[in-house]
Amino acid sequence: MVMRKLQLPLSQTQKVRFERGIERLQSLSSTANSDASVIVTDAIPVNHDDAFLKGHGTSEVDGELLATVCGVVERVDKLVYVRTLRARYKPEVGDIVVGRVIEVAQKRWRVELNFNQDGVLMLSSMNMPDGIQRRRTSVDELNMRNIFVEHDVVCAEVRNFQHDGSLQLQARSQKYGKLEKGQLLKVDPYLVKRSKHHFHYIESLGIDLIIGCNGFIWVGEHVEVRDPMAIDDEKDEEMISSSAENTGKEQIHTLLETRQTICRIGNAIRVLSNLGFTVTLEIIMETVNLSNSKNVDIHDMLGSEFHVVVAENEAERRRTKRKK
Amino acid sequence: FKSVRLLDIIIDLDGFVSFFIISAFHLSYNMLLNQLRCEEGDPENLLRNSFFQFQADRAIPDLEKQIKSLEKERNSMVIEEEESLKNYYNLIFQHKSLKKDICEIVFTPKYCLPFLLPNRAVCLDCTNDDEEQQSFSIEDQDTWGVIMKFNKVKSLFEDDDNRRPEDANYTVDVLTRCMVSKDGVGKKKVKAVPIKERGEPVVVTVPLSQIKSLSSAIMNIPKDLVPLEARENALKKVSELLSRHPDGIPLDPEVDMKIKSSSYKKTVRRLEALENLFEKHKIAKSPLITEKLKVLHMKEELTAKIKSLKKTVRSSTTLAFKDELKARKRVLRRLGYTNSDNVVELKGKVACEISSAEELTLTELMFSGVFKDAKVEELVSLLSCFVWRERLPDAAKPREELDLLFIQLQDTARRVAELQLDCKVEIDVENFVQSFRPDIMEAVYAWAKGSKFFEVMKIVRVFEGSLIRAIRRMEEVLQQLIVAAKSIGETQLEAKLEEAVSKIKRDIVFAASLYL
Repeated sequence: MVMRKLQLPLSQTQKVRFERGIERLQSLSSTANSDASVIVTDAIPVNHDDAFLKGHGTSEVDGELLATVCGVVERVDKLVYVRTLRARYKPEVGDIVVGRVIEVAQKRWRVELNFNQDGVLMLSSMNMPDGIQRRRTSVDELNMRNIFVEHDVVCAEVRNFQHDGSLQLQARSQKYGKLEKGQLLKVDPYLVKRSKHHFHYIESLGIDLIIGCNGFIWVGEHVEVRDPMAIDDEKDEEMISSSAENTGKEQIHTLLETRQTICRIGNAIRVLSNLGFTVTLEIIMETVNLSNSKNVDIHDMLGSEFHVVVAENEAERRRTKRKK
Repeated sequence: FKSVRLLDIIIDLDGFVSFFIISAFHLSYNMLLNQLRCEEGDPENLLRNSFFQFQADRAIPDLEKQIKSLEKERNSMVIEEEESLKNYYNLIFQHKSLKKDICEIVFTPKYCLPFLLPNRAVCLDCTNDDEEQQSFSIEDQDTWGVIMKFNKVKSLFEDDDNRRPEDANYTVDVLTRCMVSKDGVGKKKVKAVPIKERGEPVVVTVPLSQIKSLSSAIMNIPKDLVPLEARENALKKVSELLSRHPDGIPLDPEVDMKIKSSSYKKTVRRLEALENLFEKHKIAKSPLITEKLKVLHMKEELTAKIKSLKKTVRSSTTLAFKDELKARKRVLRRLGYTNSDNVVELKGKVACEISSAEELTLTELMFSGVFKDAKVEELVSLLSCFVWRERLPDAAKPREELDLLFIQLQDTARRVAELQLDCKVEIDVENFVQSFRPDIMEAVYAWAKGSKFFEVMKIVRVFEGSLIRAIRRMEEVLQQLIVAAKSIGETQLEAKLEEAVSKIKRDIVFAASLYL
């Protein structure tokens, strides 16, 4: 858990409660690796007789292995590397990412990903609206704007790295693609840990939650995902004609409660990001339930009182979890 | 129909022999890791939609139909007094098995070899195998003959010399009345028949297990048995002996052959008790006993068939590779390639990249630092063990340094295989370790050092194409390893591997085309 200074004005009592909460959290966190943390140019203790592999964040200078970044030393078999605590997003193949389209270029879209380069989503890595697998022709290229335009929010998967270090994305299933009717939130990328599922569907609220590994989180109204293999031809045509109608007419109104829930979840994520807690589905739902039970208004969630309450609650939750 | 594995389908140019394809689908760690890496990946879905599963599912309705028809047939066979008949039937089988046990004990080479002297009369078991039904009396068919000599059978095991002479297999050449017949392909088949039946006296080789008992009588037979009369005379002498002594004066196992083992005595006692039971059994006297027994036997066979078919159906309905999938996931967790939530870790990401060679062993080698110290040429030689899977009979032993690396490779492979066995994946540890062959290590070392191709061919005697294919595959593995090294951040190793690629990628081996 990485702590950052809270940028909110806290009253005296609030400060006291806050510090107490933080102290408890720190005592609960594991102290196993505290002596393995290094700063730049620290020498990493290594047995020089053994063959060891030098990983990221290390470099050999004058026969000594030095750290080039601040972080924690990790060892996997004979590999020694330094894992940074706060860093830019480091993409891996297979990561789910959420981004905003910045540019429509020749046969590709450029997507902003909170990375040091823009991600590239090729036209051929995108499913065609009619679902047929075919070669993309020049007509498809001219119609790219019908799929994504600038400032659209898209969800995709990292396919591979180009040799110059830029990312190639793909959006080959129904789950990926344009995201509508929701909110995009930006948190620090190191607050999102890689887990089994990044797409969450909260059934009780009817909300889709996509936690992108690059720190962009999408909260939106639930969209039914069509499984392409389960549909027979008639239903397919029906769906296509109905979706064509929709884009022409007015969008169907989202319910007020759904919109409120989206905002509540969004604020919960902002609070967690301010406090520096890892963002997972569990803790988000916990925070939302807490705000509901204490009848905190959506605007008030971003106030200092709620921040303190959340910090205390999290300390309590971890303590009970530790006891189990 | 001939059954062929999908990977080895052969097209018969002559015509229209149809082949039934059996799916060779199998799980691999690389596939599993890549599935776990992406969110969409669902290995179970893959298994469910595989050709293997399809074939298993498709066979089920057929099997169920078969089961139904067999059950109908079985239920239509009605026998009276079935209970006592079953009892009698079991007794017969017990008797047969006890007799077999006795025979096995008596005729172990340890006891009977000293008595297999030439010209001794011997009783052979010649139950006809061609008959469909078994005989249901406690008397079997047998015939008598004269021993010529016995031979030791050479078995195919390499450590034949280490086996004691008492344990090896033996066959005996016996002169007896046989039926000589030619089967469809023109091969002669010789079958022993009872001495009174029609046939000719021929010397036939029988295994030790076919001898029922040895006689203590030794016949006086001329040495030359080529003329038919001499053989006929010999058999006539045996029939004379039988007429005088109907049981042929057998050698008593306990007294003459000096078999003193306690298990033998116990078996003999059980046999005697069983034979008593036979006399007393009420059904033994009823008429048509043999026919009834035959019907019962058929019924039992049908029941056994139904059971085995049901078992096949049960095993097909479950997902084909489900257990293996679970076991493999366990292996990945144990080795540290995925964490307990099945999220791929650093080691797993390295193994994801490798698809042309055994991924687990190669990743373990990489992370144990073996690649770091080795020189470029030695590294390349070590990799050749991963791509060469044939066994060369007269390959030269590689030099010291290479051998050292090879031993490290074998140790790692053994460790990986034992862990897999531990996690209940079906794998043969020794087979797995032996599958890495060092046969072309020397040749590849020379190639990496810069020799010409014809010099390399002199070192090892293989087809040129095989060697070229191996080197090309090695280059593929090297490329995958370069990507893997980049992902863990070892720049030195990456540079070394790139140097290795440049050293082997030259000349005729990597020529795009030999003609242009």
